[in-house]
This record gives sequence, structure tokens and C-alpha cells, in this order.
Amino acid sequence: MSLKYVIKEGTAGFKRAKLAVTTSIFSLFIAVLLLGILGRVSYNVYTQAMSLKEIQIEVFLFDMDERSVEEVRNQIEGEELVTNVVYISKDSASVIAAKELGAGVTELIELNFLPASFKVEVNTDSGSELVESLASRIQNIRGVDEVEYNRALLKALESNLSIFSLIGSGLGILILLAAVVLVYNTIRLTIYAKKDLIRAMKLVGATNGFIRSPFIVEGIIQGLIAGTLAVLSVFAIFEFLVPIYIPDVGIVAWPFGRWYFLVGAMVGLSVLMGWWGSRLASRKYIAETYISG
Amino acid sequence: MSETSVIELRNVSLSFENRRVLNNIDFKLHNGEFTYLIGATGIGKSSFLKLLYRDIVPDTGTVRVTDYPVNKISMKEVPMLRRRLGIVFQDFQLLQDRNVFDNVAFALQVTGEKPKFVKQRVLEVLTMVGLSHRRKHMPKDLSGGEQQRVVIARALANEPRILLADEPTGNLDPGASKSIMDLLKQINNRGMAVLMVTHDYALVKKYPFRTVRMIEGSLQELQWKGDKLVPVK
Repeated sequence: MSLKYVIKEGTAGFKRAKLAVTTSIFSLFIAVLLLGILGRVSYNVYTQAMSLKEIQIEVFLFDMDERSVEEVRNQIEGEELVTNVVYISKDSASVIAAKELGAGVTELIELNFLPASFKVEVNTDSGSELVESLASRIQNIRGVDEVEYNRALLKALESNLSIFSLIGSGLGILILLAAVVLVYNTIRLTIYAKKDLIRAMKLVGATNGFIRSPFIVEGIIQGLIAGTLAVLSVFAIFEFLVPIYIPDVGIVAWPFGRWYFLVGAMVGLSVLMGWWGSRLASRKYIAETYISG
Repeated sequence: MSETSVIELRNVSLSFENRRVLNNIDFKLHNGEFTYLIGATGIGKSSFLKLLYRDIVPDTGTVRVTDYPVNKISMKEVPMLRRRLGIVFQDFQLLQDRNVFDNVAFALQVTGEKPKFVKQRVLEVLTMVGLSHRRKHMPKDLSGGEQQRVVIARALANEPRILLADEPTGNLDPGASKSIMDLLKQINNRGMAVLMVTHDYALVKKYPFRTVRMIEGSLQELQWKGDKLVPVK
């Protein structure tokens, strides 16, 4: 099979069926653009939510000597989920309280009634149930008076993140499905526009694989063009339009901090859909085309 | 298959839309033979040709074209069969977006021939059909007769052993029809078997060759007796 011929025919298809090709590229572009926006927004929402989820448990202690404090610290640090433990003495607690509550409560704070405590940081991947059981284990350590953490916020974040992930994935799958159907049908249109060419090729004894190859090259090129346009649009939207027209949103970062992950995924997906759509559509249509019409 | 026949049908039956088109027929086309297939419109002459280039398969019987048992080969072998055949239709089936040279070259490019050979062979067949001077013209700039010549050139490009022509003069005026018939005769004189479907009795009379009539699902050999075609006894 002549590669030169296949590439020449594949690119010539753009001139021969302009409307069908434009429709095909446009539908691919819309699909990949939507997926790109969804990907970038989802990543940012997710990382924001994860940073909120950083859990801190406050462990208030009874009055005790330094050795006992160290024993409690050792036991807490021995827990698998615990990533960091900071001790706040009675004096430090008073200073912090004075700072937070203001001058009006100075006399009250001078009574030095606030207990010493530990601020315990927990692995952010821990679910609420694990945190709950950790809290109850800490509560049972000798010398611990009370254990506090924001149960409600953790549970709300947890359930909202699951819902968000579900909606995000569902939306992504829906867009992908719609895109695949759209791409398949528009590429079928492109192929249908060339039914005379297919009949003539069959007439002179071209194999189905040979007939298919220019369409597949065309599908890949369509995917490449649509993917590039979608990437440029995502860039324009998040680097120029959002900062100018919706500045409150702030910076919507590239996923994983690098532009090329999303760009690569978008162009790759677009090319894949172009290839797949043209392969499927041409396979079916060519098999169903008869020389005699 | 007998050694001299390039097409052989045995006990072939074909139904189409609940109508029996062919009823247990036998047929042979010999090497280098010119045969007309005539019959009323819609009787099934084109279906007969479709059986040969495997656009359809018979209900029963066997169809052989050169070495190919047409109704038994896999779909992958069908393109190889078609390369042994030159096929010409009434509607020219030229690609309107490419010139005469490219329309003919296309037949060789799809079979993977090298560009140098393609160029040489295309000029050869265009010269044969008398159109080498029109090679850069687009199909729309050609007359009907010229377009049909391009189609014949394309059909000949792969040096087939058999030319199947389905009403090749059907859309042409008498002058153009004559030039196409002269060309087909010339091709036949070079040793290629030609099976031509037509209902133009004037042409059949003017260029007398073996004539077979399709009638009520059967094939009937005919011969000229005076001005009339009559069944061979």
C-alpha cells in the first residue's frame, strides 16, 4: 500500500467534502473542549476540597508533669494516621487565646485556666470513620481530658466530594458518549459524501483496508485539528477570559501543576476519537457499499 | 472449468425480491470471445453481471470467473477477483474531482503499483482509447463518448482477462456508440473476452457476435437469420 497515496487522499478529503469535514471537526472540538474544561475545573475543585479536608484533632490534657505529657505524645505519635503532633502548653494556650479574643479578656486569661493540649494532624486521605476511631483511642489515653475535631465539616466534605466525583465522572462519561455518537455520525456523513469514490475503488479491486486507510488518516487529522483548537480555547478561557470577566474565581491551575498533562490528554483523546470514529464508520459503510449502487 | 472458458456458470439460480431471476442456468464465455447478453429491461441482465463481480451470490449453483470460484471465495479475495475483470457501466462512474489521467491512474494506485509504472501504463491505455491528448481535462469537459472511453481505459489499466460492459452505449448518441463499439471490438481483437449487456439491437446487428438472450429466467443462444435473431436449434 502506497503511504504517499493514502496520505494524499486523506488530506484531499478536506477539500472534497468541506461541509461534512467541518461538521466533524466542530463536533469533535466541542466534545474535547467540554471535557477539557470539566477536567481543569474538576481538578481545581478537588484540590481545594482536599486542602479543606486537612484534619486537625485537638487533644486537651489534664494537669500533669512533663514526663506524663511526653508519654501521651509518644502514644499519639504511635498512631498510624497521625502525621504531626504539636504541644501547646498552658502558657502558650493563654497567649493564643489573648491574641484571638482581644484585650477585653486579658484579666480572665491571666487566671491561666486554659489546659495544655496537643494539635494532632491526621493523614488527609483518612475517612471520617477512621478519624472517629482514632479520636476515641486518643480519648482513652491516660491523662487526656477531651478530644475535639470538626466532625460535621469532615462528614460534609466527605459526602460532598463523593457526590462531586460522581457528578463529574457521570458528566464526563455523558459528554464522551455524546461525542462518540456525534463523531461517528458526522464521519459517516463525510464517508457518505464520498460514496462514488468508494464504489469506484471497489470496482477496480481495492481492498477494504486500502479503501478505509485514507478515511482513517482523515479522521486522525480531524482529531488533531479539533484537539488543537480545543486546547487553544481552554488556554484562552482560563488564562484570559476567566481572569478578566470572573476574577473572583482566582487562578484555575493546570492539573498536576503542568500544562502538558491536560493538553496531551485532550489532543490524545481527540485523535483517538477521530481514529476510532472513522474506523468504525468506514468499516461499516464500506462493507455495506455495492459497486452497482 | 474447461481450459478455454474464462467464465462458467453451472446450475445457477437467483431470486431477487421474491422473483426468480435466473432458473438453473448454464453459461460459458470462452477466452477471447465477444458475447452479447440481451433481453428486456428488468429481466435480470445486470444481476447476471453482478454475480460475476461478486456484488451478489446465487441461491444455488456455481460461478467461476478465471480461476475464482466466485460464490465460494472469502470477502478478502473479492478485490483480487475484480482485478481480473474490467467493468464498464452505463453511468460512467468517473470521479468528477480529478482529471482523466488521475481517474485512470487511480485503478493502478489502489492495487499498489509503483508511480513510474502507473504513469507509463496510464499513457498506454489512454493512447489505446485515443484520449492521451485529453489527459489533463476534467470529466465534465468531456463528451459522453469520451467519458465512456476514459472508463474503458480505467477498466483496461490492470490488464484484465475479461471486460464486463453493462449497457456501455446506453447514454450515448449513435456516433459515440459506434466509436465505443469500435473500441470494444479492437480490445476484443487483442484477445480479451468481452461480455456486453445491451438492448440495442441495431448495434448487435451492426457488430455481429455471439448473442445470448435472457428470457424468463433462462438463457437462449441466438443467431441472425436475415433481419431476425432466432434461437439456435
